[in-house]
Amino acid sequence: MSPLAEEIVAALKTTPQQFSDVVDAHMQVPWRQMLKAWGEVRAADILKRDDNGAYYIDAEG
Amino acid sequence: MARKGFRDVLADLEAAGELRRIKKEVDIRQISGLMGQSPEATMFENIKDYPAWRLAGAIVSTRKRLAISMGCTEDKVAFRFEQALNRMIEPVHVDKAPCQEVVLEGDDVDLTAIPYPLMHVLDGGPYISGTLVVSKDPEFGVNIGSYRLMYRTPKETGIDLVSSSDMRFYYQRALDKGKPLEIAVAIGTHPFDMLASSYKAPIDVNELAIAGGLHGEPVPMVRCRTVDLEVPADAEIILEGELLPIGWSADEGPFGEFNHISGEVKWNPIFRVKCITHRADPIFYLLQMPWENDWLAAPVVEAAGLQALRIASVQPVAIRAPVGMCGYWGLIASIRKRPGEGKNALCALLSVAEVKYAVVTDEDIDINNPDELDWALALRVQADKDVIIFSGARGKHIDPSVRAWAMGKGALPTTAKMGIDATMPEGIPKKLYQRSVYYGKDRAKLEDFS
Repeated sequence: MSPLAEEIVAALKTTPQQFSDVVDAHMQVPWRQMLKAWGEVRAADILKRDDNGAYYIDAEG
Repeated sequence: MARKGFRDVLADLEAAGELRRIKKEVDIRQISGLMGQSPEATMFENIKDYPAWRLAGAIVSTRKRLAISMGCTEDKVAFRFEQALNRMIEPVHVDKAPCQEVVLEGDDVDLTAIPYPLMHVLDGGPYISGTLVVSKDPEFGVNIGSYRLMYRTPKETGIDLVSSSDMRFYYQRALDKGKPLEIAVAIGTHPFDMLASSYKAPIDVNELAIAGGLHGEPVPMVRCRTVDLEVPADAEIILEGELLPIGWSADEGPFGEFNHISGEVKWNPIFRVKCITHRADPIFYLLQMPWENDWLAAPVVEAAGLQALRIASVQPVAIRAPVGMCGYWGLIASIRKRPGEGKNALCALLSVAEVKYAVVTDEDIDINNPDELDWALALRVQADKDVIIFSGARGKHIDPSVRAWAMGKGALPTTAKMGIDATMPEGIPKKLYQRSVYYGKDRAKLEDFS
């Protein structure tokens, strides 16, 4: 996983976030780089959704 | 006259002062907010990190712009669509297509190379919202529909296939055999093609034949590069691939829905993209939710209302699916009335599947003028005689008032329907509705005294 993808994983283990929160947290990162990192997280098949539609990852995941 | 395409619509809008070009560089994260502030359709010509691309959106976010794109006046939109239903023209095959000027396969497939932004705050990801999706079943033939796609990875999207549709039926049939369903997604097509794709045609009708009826000539179709399907040759972008045989198992959504409400997470299939083709200088079409969806839905619902009225032997004069009701749940019509036809017309309009609220009035009322309509409602309606309410009709999940959220998974909600007969009641002399007119208005002209 890229460092950016690992950063996203760490954040989602801490607290559930909407996708827009993830975007807001990486405004200085080029859009395509952000999407590719998100794709890495997706491909790892570790994303879960809460009742508000926010993404999270189990801490032990 | 040559068949008009997506770029011709942009030119027509610009000629009418309905297109704003933004030449200053924008980050893709700024696009949704900027487009939401623009009173015109918007073309972004300088997108950071996407030098080869432009992005256009909100092209039919008003009825005026929809009418421009259809080449008719606003009051003729529904009649234009109804006419096309009665003179369908089958598509034709062509060998060479602008949509295949660039072909990307294998490792070159990368959905992040296409500039589609995050549209709403609560969306589950960036969405491709304005699609024309082609699928095929060996027994039932070609189907065209419009489905949203949520970014997942550079080669995969989610796709909302929850609602009942022919493509859902095709996917289920493929799934039952453990096979994927090939699909092709066209982006940046003429609104006629989008309108036709949103029409729930019988399974044996090719929706692009309806588009042909709207164009007045066949839609040219080209064979895809990697799947056994044909797509509109003059589209801007094509995504070819397959719906994986995994059933409704991947999270998708929320997405700002056509009912102006942020939706919920749904469980849906995954679309794996095998090939991307596009024009050499592509324009990505961002369908602005909810407005463009609603204005594209309205003519379809209005045409269904016209057909229902004609089957009921009622003569329609004008019809409107208010965008405040999402171009979907309501119909207002004026009719040339004979005794009893106010109620007949209501029954007809409420027979349209999605319509839960209908108003019928007389031909002297301009149904596009809210004050006129209010006047008819105030003076032609007695609620105990002129309001019809019934319950237990088929409802739609995304209407919160049907309480689908409180039902078990897979349960189908029902809805009440209401109709108001705002035609002049039988037995009341017409002279009692004779409107007051300013004395001398035709003799003295204001401009002569200014």
